[in-house]
Amino acid sequence: MDVSQYLDIFLDETKEHLQNLNNQILDLEQDSENMDTINEIFRAAHSLKGMAGTMGYKRMQNLTHDMENVFSEVRNGAIKVTPDMVDVLFKCLDALEGYLSTIQETSDEGTNENEPLIKALNDFLNGKGGAQPKKEEAKAEEPAEETAAADAPASEAGLVEKWQNIKLTDTEKHLFEKAKEEGKFFYGLTVYIQESCILKAARAFLVFKALEEHGEIILSKPSTQDIEDEKFDFDFSVIVVSGEPIEKVVEAIKSVSEIEDAVGRALTDADFNAVEAGSSSQESTAKTTAVASTEGDKPKASGEKKAAGKPVVNRTVRVDIEKLDVLMNLVSELIIAKNSLVSASNTDDAQRSSSFNEQIEYLESVTTNLHESVMKVRMVPIESVVSKFPRMIRDMQKTLNKKMELHMSGEETELDRTVVDEIGDPLMHLLRNSADHGLESAEVRKQRGKSEVGNIFLKAYQDGNNVVIEVGDDGNGIDVAKVRDKAIQKGTITPEQAENMSDKEIIDLLFLPSFSTAEKVSEISGRGVGLDVVKSKIEALSGEVEVRSKLGEGSTWIIRLPLTLAIIQALMVIVGDEKYAISLGSIQTIEDIPTSEIRLVENKEVIQLRGTVIPLIRLNDVVGIESSKAPDDNLVVVIVKKGDRLAGLVVDELIGQQEIVIKSLGKYISKCKFISGATILGDGEVALIIDANALI
Amino acid sequence: MDELKIVNENDTAQYIVIKIDNEQFGINISVVDNIVKMTHVTRVPKVASYLKGVINLRGEIIPVMSLRLKMGLKEDEITKATRIIILKLEQHGKIGFIVDEVKEVITLESSQIEKVATDTSADKVTFVQSVGKCGSELISILDLNSLTVEKE
Repeated sequence: MDVSQYLDIFLDETKEHLQNLNNQILDLEQDSENMDTINEIFRAAHSLKGMAGTMGYKRMQNLTHDMENVFSEVRNGAIKVTPDMVDVLFKCLDALEGYLSTIQETSDEGTNENEPLIKALNDFLNGKGGAQPKKEEAKAEEPAEETAAADAPASEAGLVEKWQNIKLTDTEKHLFEKAKEEGKFFYGLTVYIQESCILKAARAFLVFKALEEHGEIILSKPSTQDIEDEKFDFDFSVIVVSGEPIEKVVEAIKSVSEIEDAVGRALTDADFNAVEAGSSSQESTAKTTAVASTEGDKPKASGEKKAAGKPVVNRTVRVDIEKLDVLMNLVSELIIAKNSLVSASNTDDAQRSSSFNEQIEYLESVTTNLHESVMKVRMVPIESVVSKFPRMIRDMQKTLNKKMELHMSGEETELDRTVVDEIGDPLMHLLRNSADHGLESAEVRKQRGKSEVGNIFLKAYQDGNNVVIEVGDDGNGIDVAKVRDKAIQKGTITPEQAENMSDKEIIDLLFLPSFSTAEKVSEISGRGVGLDVVKSKIEALSGEVEVRSKLGEGSTWIIRLPLTLAIIQALMVIVGDEKYAISLGSIQTIEDIPTSEIRLVENKEVIQLRGTVIPLIRLNDVVGIESSKAPDDNLVVVIVKKGDRLAGLVVDELIGQQEIVIKSLGKYISKCKFISGATILGDGEVALIIDANALI
Repeated sequence: MDELKIVNENDTAQYIVIKIDNEQFGINISVVDNIVKMTHVTRVPKVASYLKGVINLRGEIIPVMSLRLKMGLKEDEITKATRIIILKLEQHGKIGFIVDEVKEVITLESSQIEKVATDTSADKVTFVQSVGKCGSELISILDLNSLTVEKE
């Protein structure tokens, strides 16, 4: 049986379980007595072990098995949770993540045994005073029970040795005699799988695999084919020939997780005689030998397949079934709309135009809804990314020796899947920055009259067509003077330039690549490690990042990301004789301004609008084309907003609002910064999309 | 199939012959994706002058450059014969060249093609890779890499 088809599910679920474990262990650290948490951890670890076992990842299984043992003892109250233990547990989770990523890349778990971790776990089990004898006792009991079960199973556990129903033929008898001569035993075994088990066939496969290691499978009931197809209840029976004692074989079966029990005994001559008396049939003879031989081959074959080890791509989205239902409904409506159009075209001219319009309106509303629903399917909460941060902050607390707390809100905010995948690293970077450079040490904080525990905030919320993620701290803030000195010293700016730069502009210098790679900048400025990477990554997602900082009070990094990437609502405008699109998300208002209201400030055109001074940007100058309007005509000004800054884009004419599909201009023409892409209009013409953010 | 094999063994290649000004150029057919009639080109601001803009090719946005301007000749005159040749290049994706005319497809054997002695000492970029002889005519085979690499 090939388990590779389950790999995707395995990866997804393992990730979930690991995340769950991370969270629960964090909770455990706070409240080491909470039985609910401990139980939850135990369950998660157990499922992890089971899944790793199913997929045949032995090393992963071993590690989780030992973790599970520790939790089991904690649950029984035999050992107490200690900070050391939590540290080791976290390391285990990291190791498991390591396995997972190796599996993801190569579909093999790699060769790292993580022995130190397993040893550390066992030390908790053995080394902790009173826990030791108890553990050993438990261990001693287990095999005893197993033998007992093997000896008298039917009466004790209520498990029937169904293998006795297997029909034995002359072939088996022949093999039996031969085995006896070789000093091997014939065992009849019935294996019970837990009823909660999902992948029964996989379990059975693993049992077969385990049995192959100890002997040879002669017969099985149901047939191997049926077992592979999951055509069996929660038990199956096998006849095995093996040179090892029955206890060992039973133990091997039980080592497979989610196996409830295995019962059986050695066959004797009497069994065969009894069967023979019951007139054994010849029909299955050929079949059974065939089964036995194929069974021998199959594990090898799948083993080889695995060795080939191709990278596993895992890009799935889990979709709420309701969202899919909505989609389905819309698609059927679309079909109806299409049919109505077809029938409308068949009617006579007089009626045609009016029913056409009607249908087109209908079609429009369906496609808009369809688009929205598809977008929603692609949306996932950012929780999947941010939920790993509490753990990270906890670890940093130890390595940096600072006290800090992470406050998160808005984890349920949804973003496009592609964005969520990419946003993790930049956020982590900013959080690290805050923890490392932003927050002061406890002593300094005390001197400044702040509480000793530093606070880090992660806030996510939706703002119009954008999602805003804020990462802040109540630490030192950015020392503008120091950044300025460093920039001058490094030659990034001249002293004269520095004079004229606002604090904001100077802080923006931190985002320059040359600045961050400079040595020791992080010490001097307190910031600057890889901020250019953060910026470029977010810009690649058509987002932007800015920082607000107050010396002594902390700083906040604000990331703005577009809700959707592919289709947007846009305002179509005309400049000269060319059409351009401006994303509706950034537009505040549209104003009609007489030229007499234009004022000059520092030789730049501005207008006053309801008390605010707004700089004007003439789009025709930006794109390099003659305006089609006379100089003294009223101006059509599109007021756009970026963060809290406004600007007025002067266009020649407005066309109207339109839903546009964003297309890339390609790599070849990428130099034009304020063009974020192109779109195809209804008449097949191409219009460029103006990125208002880049103009401000 | 057999025919194809023979062609390969003789080491021949097919070229699309285009006309710019009065010169004939060849483009290896393996990189040509499409040839379309001149359509509306949307200008993209603030790019090199030879980049004429982008066109919509069945829903795909494709950048278009003028071979004339790239070679330092005078501005294209759009006639009925003007075509855009869409090339599919590995490093740039699809890109269109505006040419005066597309004439024919010819097959050249490697023996018919001569490398051009490139004068590396002079600081001049040449777009011609080699010259093919087809009957009495000479066809300059374009070096697409040097045409598409942007000088900083």
